[in-house]
Amino acid sequence: MLNNIIDFAPEIPIADWTAEFTEKLTETFSFIFTPIEENFDVFMEFVSESLYAIPPLIIMIIVALLAFFITGKKLGLAVFSLVGLWLIYNQGLWEHLMNTFTLVLISSILSVIIGVPFGILMSKSKTAEAIITPILDFMQTMPAFVYLIPAVAFFGIGMVPGVFASLIFATPPTVRFTNLGIRQVSKELVEASEAFGSTGSQKLFKVELPMAKATIMAGINQTVMLALSMVVIASMIGAPGLGREVLSALQRAQVGTGFVAGVGIVILAIIIDRFTQNVNSKGKKA
Amino acid sequence: MFKPNWKKFGIAAGLSLSLVAAGCGSDEGSSDEGSSEGNAEASKEIELSYVEWDTEVASTNVIATVLEEQGFDVTVTPLDNAVMWESVATAETDGMVAAWLPGTHGELYSEYKDQLVDLGPNLEGAAIGLVVPEYMDVNSIADLDAQAESTITGIEPGAGVVAAAESAVKEYENLSDWEVQTSSSGAMATALGEAIEAEEEIVVTGWSPHWKFQKYDLKYLEDPKGVFGEAEQIKTMVRKGLEEDMPKAYKILDQFHWEPADIESVMLAIQNGADAEEAAATWVEENPDKVAEWTKGIK
Repeated sequence: MLNNIIDFAPEIPIADWTAEFTEKLTETFSFIFTPIEENFDVFMEFVSESLYAIPPLIIMIIVALLAFFITGKKLGLAVFSLVGLWLIYNQGLWEHLMNTFTLVLISSILSVIIGVPFGILMSKSKTAEAIITPILDFMQTMPAFVYLIPAVAFFGIGMVPGVFASLIFATPPTVRFTNLGIRQVSKELVEASEAFGSTGSQKLFKVELPMAKATIMAGINQTVMLALSMVVIASMIGAPGLGREVLSALQRAQVGTGFVAGVGIVILAIIIDRFTQNVNSKGKKA
Repeated sequence: MFKPNWKKFGIAAGLSLSLVAAGCGSDEGSSDEGSSEGNAEASKEIELSYVEWDTEVASTNVIATVLEEQGFDVTVTPLDNAVMWESVATAETDGMVAAWLPGTHGELYSEYKDQLVDLGPNLEGAAIGLVVPEYMDVNSIADLDAQAESTITGIEPGAGVVAAAESAVKEYENLSDWEVQTSSSGAMATALGEAIEAEEEIVVTGWSPHWKFQKYDLKYLEDPKGVFGEAEQIKTMVRKGLEEDMPKAYKILDQFHWEPADIESVMLAIQNGADAEEAAATWVEENPDKVAEWTKGIK
């Protein structure tokens, strides 16, 4: 009886619409997608191969030195980086590490390039905020597995669709935190800068962004971490690296191999996390 | 004042290093389109995709070894099941030797069959069904009542063998209160190993060839209603246009065909700790006659 009230409409064919829409999108924009895929693929392969071409010892030393100075001349992170990277090298995962790092690096850079402007836009307009916020929620909560197949349709297999999937998942924190940071800049400061006759862009670059920098960096740090958490899923669509090792260990029930690759990801995560946190604060007193 | 300078220095150093490295790199063209310069096979690069099941790891590495020996530059990429099919259909990869038909990949095949070239089976006598340890006192699906807590331990949701197990639960009255627990191939194998270790009851969705039959004493349960279909074949699928672009590779893939005993020996070597590429290379070395059949008529 009661069901009759809500059974007024047949099942809405959302699944079919989505499939058709994806197909249309692929066909319509293949002239954009294909060049992106090809050139970007070459570019990313080039980045990871260049990284791989640098002798591991040199990378270890550079990272350790940077860690030393970034953390305000403390030894902790420097030693950890050195030992951690050596361990990854020792386990024969160096090439995978470089691939994973490339994926995370490119995804993060793109996320920031895309995310910060949107964050600024949101902070400047209530309407933009109202429109973008639900989109961000959608991007962060839609399970990544859902857009793996479209990602392959758009960008083939390999690193490029992996970056695409990472972007969807990892960009929102940068946008949110940029918005938040700028909105938290004190009204008095903004009014003062207006009183001195600064233009909109001066206000943004000289007052708001510098004041919001700490918050924005916290968002970027989150973005990098989320990009890193996508590496295993990205491997399902052919992205090489530590994620592929984890995935293949899972599918072959090899606890040991999976653990070793997992530890590699953890080491990389800790190094990247401390770096992005410390670049922002001027040698925090830990 | 001091530290930011170091940071800037570090960043500058890092950037310049990568630029130097960039200078040393060579520019590589993309290899996605097989350039069809006549039949010279100008592009000797071939990309095979596979799904990381033990059978496919073995067969893909073996055929890759054979293609390498014929002078091809082979890339093998492990992908998710559905993505593997999609990648061949959209010519992202050149082919795969991992199509389980008619059962396991049935749905994917009907989805993509118009966009692929079917080169026929490379292995016959594969099977899927419900598998139990030899010590369990049951021989047919119809005889199951409440063993193993009325649970069938399955693999990835969406795999054909899982779908078949789900229809078995519907078809057989005695399974009316059973459920199919999905997991992953690896998790299923682990659960099976644990149960055998403890001599517990377990019912899994099984398929052969698979190393589990080499490692444990197992048996297929009879399937009087034929829910799991007849024997499976593993087929080779390639992208459209491969024959024109790389006739040699196409021919080798077309002629690739071997027996369950062959694949199981490679699988067992891998299971016993050999590297997949090594195990494949060893098999190729030890079976020149088979390989010669696959490369027949290749100059």
